[in-house]
Amino acid sequence: MGTSCSLFAAGLSTIELLKAEFWVRALAARLTRFDERSELARFNRSAGAWVPVSAELEALLRESLRAHEVSGGLVNVAVLPSMLAVGYTRPLSHGPTAAALEAVHPAPLLPSVLEVELGRALLASGVGIDLGGIAKGWMADRLSERLGANVLVNLGGDLRARGDGPAGAGWPVSLGDATILLSGHGAATSSVLRRRWGDGLHHLIDPRTGRPASSGLVEVSVVAAAAVDAEIVAKTALIGGPELAPTFCAAHADAWRLVPA
Amino acid sequence: MQLRPLLLKAGATAITLGATLLSALYVTAHVKNPSAPLRPSVLNISASVQPSNVQPVTSTYAS
Repeated sequence: MGTSCSLFAAGLSTIELLKAEFWVRALAARLTRFDERSELARFNRSAGAWVPVSAELEALLRESLRAHEVSGGLVNVAVLPSMLAVGYTRPLSHGPTAAALEAVHPAPLLPSVLEVELGRALLASGVGIDLGGIAKGWMADRLSERLGANVLVNLGGDLRARGDGPAGAGWPVSLGDATILLSGHGAATSSVLRRRWGDGLHHLIDPRTGRPASSGLVEVSVVAAAAVDAEIVAKTALIGGPELAPTFCAAHADAWRLVPA
Repeated sequence: MQLRPLLLKAGATAITLGATLLSALYVTAHVKNPSAPLRPSVLNISASVQPSNVQPVTSTYAS
């Protein structure tokens, strides 16, 4: 997935943990936009045609549409052209490429360019999607369901906790500079502090402008009912900025931390 | 001799009015910026989430 992942579980065998790792690697390979052979890359090339999609991709596309609705459009996976324009053309471990911001434009409203039906989907021609954080959160939620009753999954910082943790009080996780106990929650952090380069360039695109978000908040951490929910709320709050974030988090999160610029 | 109290009252009134006018000018020249950042970082926790002093096993920071 181009990031670190961790699995914590009580009462699971090594074989089961290895199966979980294989599941993550196999699905990540199908959902990466960096491999032209991946299912996502082929979908991005479908040029306005209805194409069959796997159950996992269908679920993620539906989740993306839900994220767009919940966030009022601030979480929009159709920002691939902007991500390429800022230089995020390959895994960041290989370094960004040269940015070309002259041609960036606001992202189209996702429901206007993406349609999903049972077993198939359509992406308008000229549109590209990056599933990024949505995929991490969704996969963390699905993996935790597979692993059992007392488990903590961390996929690239998107967490899902189930059960009472190692000592019966919940799973202790770091949320910024605080430690909290999670049980039946998801957590995520959206930040422009870590994956950044150049002059104000980073990986979180504001779909309203097509440019890296600059909202007055540089980091938002959220605890919510599920990992994908935490991902959506954190990203919405960060892109929305200090005017929107407190109210939005209060309505959608169980805990949140806002870091100003 | 009654002039002195009157002068003192007038002076106090003038100072009060002057301070009020200067304050009004200052406030209107420094309108609140709704985009001003929150300081410091704010952690809000609902009843369903408990803080802890236990060493965390992981973090929401991706590496």
